[in-house]
Amino acid sequence: MAKLDLSNFAQKRPLSPHLSVYRPMMTMMMSIAHRITGAALYVGMALLGLFLLGAALGSGAFSMVSWLGSGLIGAMLVFLITWAIFHHILGGVRHAFWDRGLYMDPKGREFLALGTLIGGIAMTVILWVARTLVG
Amino acid sequence: MSVPTHFNSGRTGAGKKFVADASGSAHARFMRLSSYVLTPLGILSTWWLVGLVGLPIDRVREEIGHPFPALVLIAFATLGMIHAREGMHEIILDYVHDAELKQKAIKANKIISIAIVAIWVVSLMFIAAPH
Repeated sequence: MAKLDLSNFAQKRPLSPHLSVYRPMMTMMMSIAHRITGAALYVGMALLGLFLLGAALGSGAFSMVSWLGSGLIGAMLVFLITWAIFHHILGGVRHAFWDRGLYMDPKGREFLALGTLIGGIAMTVILWVARTLVG
Repeated sequence: MSVPTHFNSGRTGAGKKFVADASGSAHARFMRLSSYVLTPLGILSTWWLVGLVGLPIDRVREEIGHPFPALVLIAFATLGMIHAREGMHEIILDYVHDAELKQKAIKANKIISIAIVAIWVVSLMFIAAPH
């Protein structure tokens, strides 16, 4: 009987990400998007921190960082950060449902994954419209 | 090629008992619980941050210089960056395959996340301080 050599198991384990071996599915894509939005928010927090630091230090410093929150680039940046926050929040809500064993059937899984995508965009647009109206 | 993840759980060899360091459970629990708090904080913070777009410095200070928005933004930044650091830690463990680079990335993640929180907190305290 062949003896099992466990010492080489570690070296033979596949390394993530294993993206190439799966057919893209909505649940998979939203899971990837959850991670990407999380990482993007990390960068977004750093950029918004610089914006706040400029505002705290005074006019000279603010003029160097004000582009982060004004003009087309600044508005696009904050819009994308808003979308990333809502998409990430709804991704967490999706996981909260799944943690409780809800919507685990094929239709339910797809429904929640699609809801994350559409809901994130919808909440972003609603907040921006409301903020524009309120002023 | 080497295994990237420092693996303290599982069966470490033939005939060895199954061991679990349970760090994964604590991580998952923290991410879940912190997300409950971050959801309202995130929505409120986003509301204020979107309102700052295009404003001059005086209006920016006026908008977030009150105690309530400043405190909410500080709480959001602090808890949010701890949550983000834990998430980034997980990403590093999953995708950085070189052991040495992995350790450096984990250290950098810790330092950068603390720096971001410090910038947010100090800036907001300056902005909200009574003049």
